Amino acid sequence: MSVALTEETPADADAGAVLSDRLVGWVLTVGGLVGALAAFVLTVEKTALLKNPAYVPSCSINPVLSCGSIMSTGQAEAFGFANPLIGLVTFPVVAATGAAVLGRVRLPRWWWLALQAGAVFGVGFVHWLFFQSLYRIGALCPYCMVVWVVMVVLFTYTTLYNLDRGHLPAPRRPVDALVRVHSAVPTLWLLILAVLIGVQFWHYWRTLL
Amino acid sequence: MPADDRHGAQARRPARDTRKPGMSTNLKVTLGILAVALLGVIGLAVVNRDSGTTPVVASDTLVRADSHRLSTAPDGRVTIVEFLDFECESCLAAYPGVEKLRAEYGDRITYVVRYFPIPSHPNAFNAAHAAEAAARQGKFEAMYKKLFDNATVWGHKEEPQVAVFEGYAREMGLDLARYRADVAGAEVAARVKADAADGAALGVQGTPTFFVNGVRYDGLPTYDDLKAVVEKSLSS
Repeated sequence: MSVALTEETPADADAGAVLSDRLVGWVLTVGGLVGALAAFVLTVEKTALLKNPAYVPSCSINPVLSCGSIMSTGQAEAFGFANPLIGLVTFPVVAATGAAVLGRVRLPRWWWLALQAGAVFGVGFVHWLFFQSLYRIGALCPYCMVVWVVMVVLFTYTTLYNLDRGHLPAPRRPVDALVRVHSAVPTLWLLILAVLIGVQFWHYWRTLL
Repeated sequence: MPADDRHGAQARRPARDTRKPGMSTNLKVTLGILAVALLGVIGLAVVNRDSGTTPVVASDTLVRADSHRLSTAPDGRVTIVEFLDFECESCLAAYPGVEKLRAEYGDRITYVVRYFPIPSHPNAFNAAHAAEAAARQGKFEAMYKKLFDNATVWGHKEEPQVAVFEGYAREMGLDLARYRADVAGAEVAARVKADAADGAALGVQGTPTFFVNGVRYDGLPTYDDLKAVVEKSLSS
């Protein structure tokens, strides 16, 4: 305890903060890396599918959990190119940001606002894909779901951090309340998504019980 | 990492006393939410287990006069009813086993197929309507086979596969004008819905659901397991 105290206190500008730089740094680093890995795997699978239309991707486990059917839909190329390319170039930036924060680099406000803009776009896009996947295509792609989870977590922590550190203007009281239960926010969020999945594919899960 | 961080937060708290006990509140709330979710899942599973032990169901709802029989056993000793969706992968997986069983037992068993299209499958209703339209020209079994044999061609596509099904009708030599009128008609749609409503009334929730002599069959829909049940019913 006392060792931690002497080690942490002098350098950490936010000592005592619930949402410490260290926590956010780790979330961004790990989230960015996991997201990048998922995007990379999806790109590789997509390439294999293009080379051989009969290729069965490693994530096509059963009729509901299947990325082969999803990858060949129009929604998989929402902007005219394969969606995972977006994650492939953006998630590493998130990971690098996290690493910089862990290295105690003080990033300018515009950097955080840019990260926030990316997070807003990412989380919005991911929810559009969630809707398409559930209610239009009727299948789930496991690697894509990894990206959904990562995006919700990254968005939550980026936003809470920016609110807490004043990069984004907001009344103190609600921000403090949210920050105090920071990990409950993405947990509840993801549980709601999980319930929606459970309801939509109930017919299918039912046959497995 | 989380445990490590909690130590950090606790160690640092005295340094700046402005905040309430943060990490522990956060952890409590998060774990609380997860616990509630877990309880919900467990509750759901328990409720399902209980409803899983349904006894013999009403026979008039199970097999209607107009239900499609692929075979009819004169002695009426074994009746299998399958509620299916032509676009359901589990039904497709069960299909070869069912066909093998039907080939082996022929008219020693009554085999009834009933529609139970799953709304989340884009062409489930279109496929059922195609089968029912074919049935009106005495070709239910042919369309049933055609749909399953080609399920990978038309299944899990967002676009309506009506034209593909019409192609099958043409290949089977159906009267196309009549088929077109039937497949889009209210009568056929109502007939498919009535089957699904019967299924729902019998407690069918997913496909394929089998009933053997009025008792829901909860085993795996494989050839071996279904054969074992048929043999048992034939010998009893």
